[in-house]
Amino acid sequence: MDVKREKELRDAEAAAEKNILLTSVEKFLNWGRVHSFWPCSFGLACCAIEMASSGDPRYDLSRFGYEVFQASPRQADLMIVAGTLTRKMAPIARRIYDQMPEPKWVIAMGNCACSGGPFADSYAVVPGADSIVPIDVYIPGCPPRPESLIFGMLHLKQKIQNPAKARLIKHVK
Amino acid sequence: MLNKILRARVSELADKVNGQVEESLGVLELTINYPYVLEVLTRVKNFADVPCDFLHDLAGMDLEDHFEVVYQLSSLRGPQRLRIIATIERENPVIDSATPLWKGADFLEREAFDMFGIQFRGHPNLKRIYMWDDFEGHPMRKDYVIESHEQRAVMRIRKEGE
Repeated sequence: MDVKREKELRDAEAAAEKNILLTSVEKFLNWGRVHSFWPCSFGLACCAIEMASSGDPRYDLSRFGYEVFQASPRQADLMIVAGTLTRKMAPIARRIYDQMPEPKWVIAMGNCACSGGPFADSYAVVPGADSIVPIDVYIPGCPPRPESLIFGMLHLKQKIQNPAKARLIKHVK
Repeated sequence: MLNKILRARVSELADKVNGQVEESLGVLELTINYPYVLEVLTRVKNFADVPCDFLHDLAGMDLEDHFEVVYQLSSLRGPQRLRIIATIERENPVIDSATPLWKGADFLEREAFDMFGIQFRGHPNLKRIYMWDDFEGHPMRKDYVIESHEQRAVMRIRKEGE
């Protein structure tokens, strides 16, 4: 950690003891948002099983505050496209995305939602959900383990907290 | 023992309708031409001692020069199993529906219609079951050409009540 950042944190700590905290409104709102995603569970295939098990006590998604899986898109701010998006389902996926209130984010969970996966050449499948809705975080895997989903949601958290940076971690050299 | 009775009944029926009897994977197979299908199915369902009165599955098949509809039959009252294969012309794929005999054939025939374009005469509600209504072509046919990556990435307009 560099010296400048350390000094900032110390100042913040000292201010917190006096019950004073300085921040911008947007930062404060984002701080609240990233600690309480309300995902709209858009489970389409086997990835939905992993999504459900990431909410159970063994993996415990709720320790990050993300446990409120909403059945209604109007009470959600994060859509997890979990599974194969067929062309018959695509207009409905778009409608659910449109029904969610701003601000909203989308996670593509699994190879099928990322790129069509093993069904990319099928007559019935949309090759990648990003042609229907804008995607913030891609989680590959078939299906991804619950840890991967949690990791993806923590990435989204970092992305929202640092909106100026497009890519936070370089995954390839 | 039971298999012998079934074999006798099936070969007797096959002589009547110009069918061929074979055995494949331990199951008797009766291949017939499509005009006889309803007659054959009715008789098979009412076989004495070994009725094959349970429709397991119904599937279409594309063999390039002709289509086939395969009926997998068995019974809840015995070990007997029978497979009936009805061959259909490729140019004019029409066959009698099995819905008067088995109500459960409804969805299975709709699937065969959806994937292969086989018309089932006498079906109560013959429309697409998997694909959307304005989908063009029948995707499981051997000569079906898949749409390009770019065309499939375009979102279609949904119709109400679909």
